[in-house]
Amino acid sequence: MSSKCFARGKFFITKKRVGKNLFAYLMLAPDIIGLVLIFFIPMGIALYVSLNEWNGISPMNFIGLKNYATLMSDSLWWHSVGITIVYTLIFVSMVYCLSLLIAVFLNSITGKIQGFLRTVYFVPFTISTIVLSIIWLFMLDPRRGLVNKFLHIFGIPAQSFLGNPKQALFCIAFMTAWTLIGYYSIIFLAVLKDIPVIYYEAAKLDGANTFQLFKSITFPMLKEVNVFVLIVTTIASFQVFDQVKVMTSGGPAGATNVAVFYIYTNAFDYLKLGYSSALAFMLFIIMFGFSIVLLKITKGGERE
Amino acid sequence: MKKILMWSLVLLISISMIGAFSITGCKEEKAAATEEEVAPAEEESAEEAEETKQIAEKTEITFWYFHSGAEGEYMAALADKYNEINPNVEVRAVSIPQADYMGVKLTTAFAAEVGPDVFFMSPGDFLKYVNSGLALDLSPYFTDEIKADFLQSALDAVTVNDKIYGVPFEIELLGLYYNKDMLAAANVQPPKTWDELIEATKTLTKGEVSGLLIEPNKGYYQNFTWYPFLWQGGGDVIDAATKEGIFEGPAVENALKLWGDLVKAGAPAKITIPGTWDIGLLGQGNVAMQICGTWAIAVIEDPENGWSETNIGLVPLPIPEGGEAATDAGGWKFMVNAHSRNVDAAAKFVMWAFAENIDLPLEWCTVTKFAYSPRQSVIESGKDIYSKGLRKVFTDEIYDTAIGEPRYPSEIVSAVGDALQEVMFANADPKVAAKKANDIINEFMKSFSGSM
Repeated sequence: MSSKCFARGKFFITKKRVGKNLFAYLMLAPDIIGLVLIFFIPMGIALYVSLNEWNGISPMNFIGLKNYATLMSDSLWWHSVGITIVYTLIFVSMVYCLSLLIAVFLNSITGKIQGFLRTVYFVPFTISTIVLSIIWLFMLDPRRGLVNKFLHIFGIPAQSFLGNPKQALFCIAFMTAWTLIGYYSIIFLAVLKDIPVIYYEAAKLDGANTFQLFKSITFPMLKEVNVFVLIVTTIASFQVFDQVKVMTSGGPAGATNVAVFYIYTNAFDYLKLGYSSALAFMLFIIMFGFSIVLLKITKGGERE
Repeated sequence: MKKILMWSLVLLISISMIGAFSITGCKEEKAAATEEEVAPAEEESAEEAEETKQIAEKTEITFWYFHSGAEGEYMAALADKYNEINPNVEVRAVSIPQADYMGVKLTTAFAAEVGPDVFFMSPGDFLKYVNSGLALDLSPYFTDEIKADFLQSALDAVTVNDKIYGVPFEIELLGLYYNKDMLAAANVQPPKTWDELIEATKTLTKGEVSGLLIEPNKGYYQNFTWYPFLWQGGGDVIDAATKEGIFEGPAVENALKLWGDLVKAGAPAKITIPGTWDIGLLGQGNVAMQICGTWAIAVIEDPENGWSETNIGLVPLPIPEGGEAATDAGGWKFMVNAHSRNVDAAAKFVMWAFAENIDLPLEWCTVTKFAYSPRQSVIESGKDIYSKGLRKVFTDEIYDTAIGEPRYPSEIVSAVGDALQEVMFANADPKVAAKKANDIINEFMKSFSGSM
């Protein structure tokens, strides 16, 4: 097989293999270099900053793991993590269920109308989050907003939405989910189209109804894409910030003070760049943990 | 042939990556300098090339401002005027949107050591920049003659440990603006007490119109507009002598409860504009009353605002039973970056603009906007303007009740803000909210070693 090795261990890169795939490695190189320069190196710098006390202006003061010890007892931080977890549960379930539902319905429609509807659902994904946040800010205005005018038709009293601590987080989750449903429904649709029709025909011959067809054929065939959608949306939900900054600034009464917003406040309001770096790493660990748990629950999408 | 094509593609991608890094990896000062520079770079003729060479030899100072409209034009013109009379100095004025200015923009610029030489600072964030060592000590530039011209309270607001860290140039007071026609139509008198304010808000809230606009968003501006109600009952946040938190007691609880009651009465819990310092909602007839400041008068009198038909009145802020009238005296300060490469030139520009000149501060306070000057000489020069229109209400009925805006560290601003938010929107008991905030304040003060 190989006569010479460049590296031993799990990643058995041989001279022969490199030579064979040289072009592929070279094409991947710019992206790797970019990732190292733009992501990994700044991440390393941030890790170092998290071991210091620094306001961004005076020289750094090395304090070791003190920032990490402080955050363990920072009740405001854990409260913001709690809010983020609630947001994640609302957001992920909304995106997953609605995008799957839309994909299933789209798959049952044939002809040009399917393409048209796919485009309509996809349009919000093409608009910047900041712009959408501003649009929804106007739509959710308690007195003059479009949503309250719509609810008024059904006799529902005007709601505060972003001014109500019990509604604000849900509004942001809903708005964000609305922008992504089109994107994920296309991903589901691509997989649904690959499910052989004969499976459904055979099941129907055995007397299966619509729900049984979904439960026994459609859903099991979506295991791998389920894992992808759940993990990607979970990671995205932990990183929510733009919408909160534009629409609520963490309020009202801290109801939308998600983790990244708390990190932002510590960095740019309190000028605690060392502490906020430590918070960011803690958030990374929490997100990583969540992703591992999800992988275990879904068994990595492996089909039994 | 295939190999040549493949290698050409690899080379092209690599060159593109390098090119992209070169463009996007440029320094912040270049990025800042491209944002609405006052000195545009045009095609150069031989004459302009000579001028450019001269400019390149001048001392350069960057000056960041957030003002817009007439105020923005004033700031840009300030740089032009200084450049005309100082051929060896080039002041570059850069406009930054207000929402970005005090947030990420200044902080990241200073952290990357590409911050401006001269910038504006609000009392709410003043200590942040003094305690971090970023603000230049301007004491050497304040001669006895200059100091004597300033109101003592204005100088005290920018003095820390006997050093002066900023140049005050405006005193902005708060009052209650109202729509005369709306109040007359509802047979409501401009409120003088807290109870009347709550009742008027309830009565005037109809359909799409809110009875009263107060700041719902947490932040230093919400605190700034709320402090007068705290002071009216004799309350405060920190004891000036002991530096301990005193954010408990009836005065604090009543002031918190008032804003909670006003939200229940109809004050909006959410607004679509960045902040209620904008008098536009009152002008457009979306609200019947609004707490706002002296700066609103120039906007109200501007015939181009599109709502000149709105009949606006002004009264002092309502007071509680047994309380004393009080309003907040805010106003931004001019600061110099202590890490600037041209601190002396920057300090001289700042002192020229607002500490030595009379015409420029007078124009700012009486023409560009309306504000009181912290300097006796400027007040004396512009005394006629202070009794014109709505200014007369500020001068005769509000000015003497002004208390300077406090300059607390961000953590204290946040604790007070959280208490307000909880009472306004989460139906928290004001006593519980006040105690929680006071505990946080006292905990913070134990470990706080900066100046206040």
